Amino acid sequence: MRFTIFQESRIGKRRTNQDRVAYSYTRDALLMVLADGMGGHLYGEIAAQISVQFIAQSFQQEARPKVSDPVLFLSRVLSNAHHAILDYAFDKHLTDIPRTTVVACLIQDGVAHWAHAGDSRLYMIRKGRLLYQTRDHSRVQLMLDQGLLDAEAAAVHPGRNRIFSCLGGNHPPQIEFSRGVSLANGDVVAICSDGVWGPLEPGSLVNTLSDGRVMESVPRLMNEAEELGGHQCDNMTLIAMTWHDDHQEDIPDTVSTRTMPADAYTTQMEGFGRGKREQEDLSEDEIEKAIREINAAIHKFK
Amino acid sequence: MATQQNCALPSGFQLDHYRVERQLSLGGFSIVYLAYDQDGTPVAIKEYLPNSLALRADGEVTPHVTEAHQGAFRYGMKCFFEEGRALAKLVHPNVVRVLNFFRANGTVYMVMQFERGRTLHDYVQKNKGNVRERFIRGVFTRMLNGLREVHAHKLLHLDIKPSNIYLRADGTPVLLDFGAARQTLMSDTPILKPMYTPGFASPEQFASREALGPWSDIYSVGASMYACLAGNSPQRSDERIKHDTVVPATKAWAGQYSPHFLATIDWCLQLDPLKRPQSCFALQKVLAQRHREAPPQQKTWLEGLGSRLKTMIGRS
Repeated sequence: MRFTIFQESRIGKRRTNQDRVAYSYTRDALLMVLADGMGGHLYGEIAAQISVQFIAQSFQQEARPKVSDPVLFLSRVLSNAHHAILDYAFDKHLTDIPRTTVVACLIQDGVAHWAHAGDSRLYMIRKGRLLYQTRDHSRVQLMLDQGLLDAEAAAVHPGRNRIFSCLGGNHPPQIEFSRGVSLANGDVVAICSDGVWGPLEPGSLVNTLSDGRVMESVPRLMNEAEELGGHQCDNMTLIAMTWHDDHQEDIPDTVSTRTMPADAYTTQMEGFGRGKREQEDLSEDEIEKAIREINAAIHKFK
Repeated sequence: MATQQNCALPSGFQLDHYRVERQLSLGGFSIVYLAYDQDGTPVAIKEYLPNSLALRADGEVTPHVTEAHQGAFRYGMKCFFEEGRALAKLVHPNVVRVLNFFRANGTVYMVMQFERGRTLHDYVQKNKGNVRERFIRGVFTRMLNGLREVHAHKLLHLDIKPSNIYLRADGTPVLLDFGAARQTLMSDTPILKPMYTPGFASPEQFASREALGPWSDIYSVGASMYACLAGNSPQRSDERIKHDTVVPATKAWAGQYSPHFLATIDWCLQLDPLKRPQSCFALQKVLAQRHREAPPQQKTWLEGLGSRLKTMIGRS
């Protein structure tokens, strides 16, 4: 597999970043996952964290180096992530069960499968045109489908943030699955939270991502969305991947998994911690771990 | 940003299971203490305390780090861990030994074996202009044993200088301060630049950090040997590239040291990394060769001329 990938998460003007995003790949499979914890509810951040972490971990365990059935895998991990949130709420005696949207996309054998619940979106772009887009599980989308609203009215509808499907919460999620889509050289798959697609003009996302240079276009889109979001700006998270033919010449910044061992994986998670400082930040756990490792080394060689 | 001085922990302070005796040194990045463990064994404890990010006022224990500096403070801690990781793996008589690593007072501490003696820097200052070739050859040949071990672990020291070379009472050298050592060369953040001492750092350290290698430490070894003769470091290498004013050792001390030795120093101080000795071993081999020392002081101008002539013959 050969691809270029870039992800970014920003806090916007909110106090916490409740978005979570990660990608993980083995020699033969790539997983991208994004969750947007629901702000109106308690611990949305935790629900998002549990989901992304759980789904990425399941991928690492099962993709050796591929999962046996992509659709079954997605269905199982999303439903298990939902139950992991319920378990957490039960363990901690939470009165309200945390909720999060989710989009997960799995690519193997050159075919992409995805599944989602809520209003975080996946876009698939081929040759500058939108090939597929997930349908939001929102009231507004339903009204749009029934012709009760037009796009303009939907953009300002007071209930536009209300969604009817998510992980966590009191109702089992309604997860929607895509069919498998074969990827072609240059295809772009992008997943984002509503903080990104909300403020942007329709079409702007597709246009900007079309050239496939995700390292530049992702930050550019984020800037644009942040500016349009203004002082109300929501958490914004965007991950985009450009697919390349294996036999293509070396393109800078691409990931080639050809030389990876069959049992290895690489994972990038973002959105943990507090916004912009993440790369520099060192969590309590990491400090403890570093000290343990150093002391282990000292005693091993003594 | 004004940099303030941090206050050291007071004498008698109980730090984990060590009792602080006194401050040994204060740097921009850390404070080093002499302390005793519960058995009364002396240790050197290095406290992570970057001046520009954390402030400990007099009489306080936990340094104050402002919210804005938290990220950078933690990042610097990562570098401190790198140093600990680097040293923990190294067990060599010519490399300082790490004994423990712990967390307290909102920061982290590295406990090292306490070495009695003095730094090569102090020795050179005390014997200015009168440091013998045999002594320098001996110290550096043995110090390079330690540096070889460092390089064998895929590490670079990157801050070799006379004040980081410690001479035990029996004269054996110990390599100290791995604060600049990096296993993987991390990209620099603007807040905490990599630390090194300008006159001893190789040109690669200023500009093309991807070109770093054992040869970069070799440059610093050469600069350190040069400083043993001159009393201070040669011109900064980044300025040398623009306008080189360094008088080659072969010219500056001709007649006072063997031409072979002086040529070795100049060899290490080549600006082009490829023209230097490429490994510690290559340099060690040359340094360990026995050469008759030239007389330490010149008797008459005629004899001086004679030895200068000999040098020229020796070189051609």
